[in-house]
Amino acid sequence: MSKNFYIDNQCNLKIEYENLINDLNQIKSFNTYCYSTDYYSIFRNIILSLLIDEPIYLLDFDFSKEEIKKLTEIDDFEKIANINVSLKKINNFEDVLNRISLVKNWKVFLYTSGTTGLPKKVSHDFPSITRMVKSSLKHSEDIWGFAYNPTHIAGLQVFFQALLNKSTLVRLFGLPNDMIIDSIINYNVTHISATPTFYRLLLPIKEQITSVIRITSGGEKLDLITMQRLKNIFINATILNVYASTEAGTILAAECDIFTLKKENQHLIKIVNQELFIHSSLLGKSDTFNLINDWYATGDLVDVISESPLRFRFLSRKNEMINVGGYKVNPQEIEQILLSYEHIKDARVYSKKNSVLGSIVCADIVCNDNTITIPEINILLRSKLQEYKVPRIINFVESIKQTRSGKKVRK
Amino acid sequence: MENKLLEIINTVLSNRGKEQIVKLTSNIHLRNDIGFDSLDLAELTVRIEAEFGLDIFEDGIVNTIGEIFEKLKK
Repeated sequence: MSKNFYIDNQCNLKIEYENLINDLNQIKSFNTYCYSTDYYSIFRNIILSLLIDEPIYLLDFDFSKEEIKKLTEIDDFEKIANINVSLKKINNFEDVLNRISLVKNWKVFLYTSGTTGLPKKVSHDFPSITRMVKSSLKHSEDIWGFAYNPTHIAGLQVFFQALLNKSTLVRLFGLPNDMIIDSIINYNVTHISATPTFYRLLLPIKEQITSVIRITSGGEKLDLITMQRLKNIFINATILNVYASTEAGTILAAECDIFTLKKENQHLIKIVNQELFIHSSLLGKSDTFNLINDWYATGDLVDVISESPLRFRFLSRKNEMINVGGYKVNPQEIEQILLSYEHIKDARVYSKKNSVLGSIVCADIVCNDNTITIPEINILLRSKLQEYKVPRIINFVESIKQTRSGKKVRK
Repeated sequence: MENKLLEIINTVLSNRGKEQIVKLTSNIHLRNDIGFDSLDLAELTVRIEAEFGLDIFEDGIVNTIGEIFEKLKK
């Protein structure tokens, strides 16, 4: 029986590795700009680009025509960028892997998910995008819940982890919660990698799920409450917290919220005024990187726990700190307290400008039910926070806006 | 306008567990009579701006209800 490559309940699609090879053998043209809602077609095009050793540009499908024009500097990329393809017949999947291992010119161009302004273009070559891929026989039985946008770096890393081990991908991203949970259970998903926002919005889950052995969280700070709730549901899973960025891919991993830097990597990371800096040798390529003597300022603030070995915990994004009359407020600290309240499903803490104190703290809250009131939330917050940190304006909302990468919109 | 302003002031007061006021008069002092601190005043100005589209503290400190009325009438 042939193995499944990709399963998508939303599109009623089940593609076996054999189907993938047949499809690849029939392709006659390739467009270097990949712009599609169809995940399978995106995956197939990435594989094709590797087989013909040509660069590929991944465009989010919700980019407007105007944005695409600015990003690609081409008026009609669908017509212009087509390349004729005549692939030497692929006989089996091992053949695909062998040819992929020979790529020289291949690059993938991505657009970082900036929440304001035009996204930045970043490119990665094959070694940099697959740096963290673990390839071995034991991974061939892995079944990956695909919970990221396929045109972003985290999605690509999951894709390559699955592809290079001939594992199965099961789509979870962009699906309703009941379909996500059905897909995890019905297809015995063993590994899921997603943002904390993805996990938070999936909770609460009524039943325990036993098939999953690894939960990876990245892209945002994972709060301890969500981590504990995940442990209660995915009872057989190890939970891994990774630090990654479009600029550099995955850099660090931790089993709780404290990251420890290995001795051999100490020269690649430094912390200045609480901000994490990454050495340029870890970065992909982009014209927009602002390097200071070969160091890239990540904008991520950390709390150093020990110097040698370097151990630290992420606090927040530098530009997300709220200044209330000279006092700095970390929105994530407040969100974590809100999330500890069982009736609260998700929360976004942000600032509102004013001419008295500069900013005040506000919060949008998504509730699991209608049983809590704003005064009750205020009492909870006042018992745990200093007065200037307590959100002054609280709104109940249906949902919290997400970026194209599935993170919380903070601006 | 007066009723809306009363409602806003009482929202600020009740969110902090303080006693609400029944009626607004021009001579009521925001700090001395109502007991607003700087955080309350910041919240007040954000809520007034959301309702009336005007930043009452833009040109400096406002002390009394009467001064807010003046700003909103302009």
